[in-house]
Amino acid sequence: MTKGILAAKHATSAVIAALFSIANAHAADPDTFYIGGVVSLSGTYGMFGDDMRKGVEIAIEQRGSKVLGKPIKVSWEDDETKPQPAVQKTTRLIADGAQMIFGAVSSSSTLAIMNIAKQRKVPHLVTISADDKITVPGASRYTFRTSNTLGMEQRMALNYTKDQKLKRVYGVIADYQATRDSWEWYRKEAEKAGVQIVGADFPPLGNRDFSTIVDKVAKSDADSVVLFQTGSDAVTLVKQAGQVNLAKTKKIFGPVIADETMAAAVGPASIGVNSGVRYHYTIDNPANKKFVDAYRKKYNEFPSMAAGEAYDGMAWWLDVVEKTGTWDKEKWVDAMASSVRENSVEGRKEMRACDHQALQDGLWGEVVPGRDPNPALMMKIVKVYPPNQIFEPCHN
Amino acid sequence: MSMIIIGLSLGMLLFLLASGLTLIFGMLGVINFAHGALYMLGAYVAFDISRRTGSFTLGLVVATLVTAATGFAMERLALRPLYARPHFYQLILTFGFILVITEAVKFTWGLGYKETPMPDALAGTIVLFGSTIPVYRLFVIIFGAVVSIALFLALERSTFGMKVRAASSDAEMVQILGLRAASIRNAVFGLGAGLAGLAGAIAAPLFPIELGMATTVIIDCFIVVILGGLGNIRGVVAAAILIGMVRAVGYTFAPSWVDVLTFSLLIATLMTRPQGLFSRPVRSA
Repeated sequence: MTKGILAAKHATSAVIAALFSIANAHAADPDTFYIGGVVSLSGTYGMFGDDMRKGVEIAIEQRGSKVLGKPIKVSWEDDETKPQPAVQKTTRLIADGAQMIFGAVSSSSTLAIMNIAKQRKVPHLVTISADDKITVPGASRYTFRTSNTLGMEQRMALNYTKDQKLKRVYGVIADYQATRDSWEWYRKEAEKAGVQIVGADFPPLGNRDFSTIVDKVAKSDADSVVLFQTGSDAVTLVKQAGQVNLAKTKKIFGPVIADETMAAAVGPASIGVNSGVRYHYTIDNPANKKFVDAYRKKYNEFPSMAAGEAYDGMAWWLDVVEKTGTWDKEKWVDAMASSVRENSVEGRKEMRACDHQALQDGLWGEVVPGRDPNPALMMKIVKVYPPNQIFEPCHN
Repeated sequence: MSMIIIGLSLGMLLFLLASGLTLIFGMLGVINFAHGALYMLGAYVAFDISRRTGSFTLGLVVATLVTAATGFAMERLALRPLYARPHFYQLILTFGFILVITEAVKFTWGLGYKETPMPDALAGTIVLFGSTIPVYRLFVIIFGAVVSIALFLALERSTFGMKVRAASSDAEMVQILGLRAASIRNAVFGLGAGLAGLAGAIAAPLFPIELGMATTVIIDCFIVVILGGLGNIRGVVAAAILIGMVRAVGYTFAPSWVDVLTFSLLIATLMTRPQGLFSRPVRSA
């Protein structure tokens, strides 16, 4: 090979390398910080998606709608509470250049999104899906959950069972893997504690009528009914339980069956229902006060559980990205994995590097009548569990 | 006993909804996918009127009238020009109506759940054979029975019903006899849509009102229409009660198998009696 040919080869390599570096530099410094939001705006969990959007908008507005000096753009997509549309819409958002994915609501959609985010190495923020499988060690380097796990909520439900000295419990469980797993854990632990499980039904997710199951519960000798359901399933069941005054003879509770949105949909029949609460607007700290004020000013209502969790997760994530000072997604992921949020709207939260789950307090509440300016029915936080009582140690 | 009452109330609610669909399907040959959306619209209108006026009855009436008017407009402005075209045009059009009605409801009432309280006169419970039964469930059964008799008389024993049946079997001949087949079709579509709205208003105190109502009921509705036989009101009553009972029994003994049971019944019917469980096969020369 002549010196001339060698020189030409080196020159070509240098040009190609230079072109790549220009292309990379361009890709690493886009015009906007683009967030792809995949939430449920219809289907069983359709009530959550719009509130999540509102919470995220406040988080973005509070930082001047910018991160890393660039404007933040968000595209919202409805997954209809189904994994297949969630996958399709996430794939399209990533193809369109989304630098992170936010969502979904249902755990099955979130687990489906996790796989795509992992393959495409795109950060993925979860603020409501509670399936424990989302944050097991080694699940995904790119997925982080800043909200509750079903595990911590089922522990709170078990503690409630013990605190109230309930002896005979009837279970109604959505026929869904996460809720079935959660029920199995609860059932075993409750039986160990001497609680008798007098019955259990597994109606399909999105069931349309629970009156027959309510009748079975009413006729049983149970002193309480635990609902491993959420969304419209929990609302319909509690509403139909109210039609036969079930709460007069049996306590109704569940890991996550009630907040102000659900109580408003059920009406006065929801009074006395106990539930895990993921976020509540009455939490007394400066960060929450600032968020609630901004939310009320913009939307003229108190933020719901879904809105508060979405705000908290997105505000945390954007602060972490800002601190890295880079557009390198891997560095964002590394920074988030070891971050601590001292001033969260829910108090201190600590991201656990081993499973990307935020350690946090657990809130337990009861539906009570509200006084102006609160909603007519509101959650009253009756117990706060510290993280060491509701999280298991993380084993790599 | 409570299982029978619950089954009957589920069945009668299904009947109210499916009767409108079978009228439109059986009499006009139009597969109206937007029937569930009209049911949802009826529930939202009833919620709104009840909240504003405190009158559940007024909500019921206005919901029926609003959805009937929507049905008239849908048929007159959009469906009528498509009758001469292949059926899939109608399918796509009525599917489009689901999106339009859903967006209109979302724009007007938002995404959150709505709650319609029970009317005071029907809010209590009674104990029958050891079971506590909501009075409203009994009301649904009685109301459904009254509507089914009224519909039967209107379609089988009245001049209007005779015209509807004539227009359904030979619209051209009806036209030659000096009757306006187009107006009859319009009236039938409006009546069917009004029945969907009425069902939504009746269902409003029983269930949370939400956008998903449009899609959750439509499958059950089509099952009832297929089991009952197209355009067969008596068949629809029987099929709706059958499905209601299957669901009530299923929820009592094996809740996770309810959908399997319902769909198995549908498949068995389609394989053995495609004309419906309660219709006679049509003989041809």
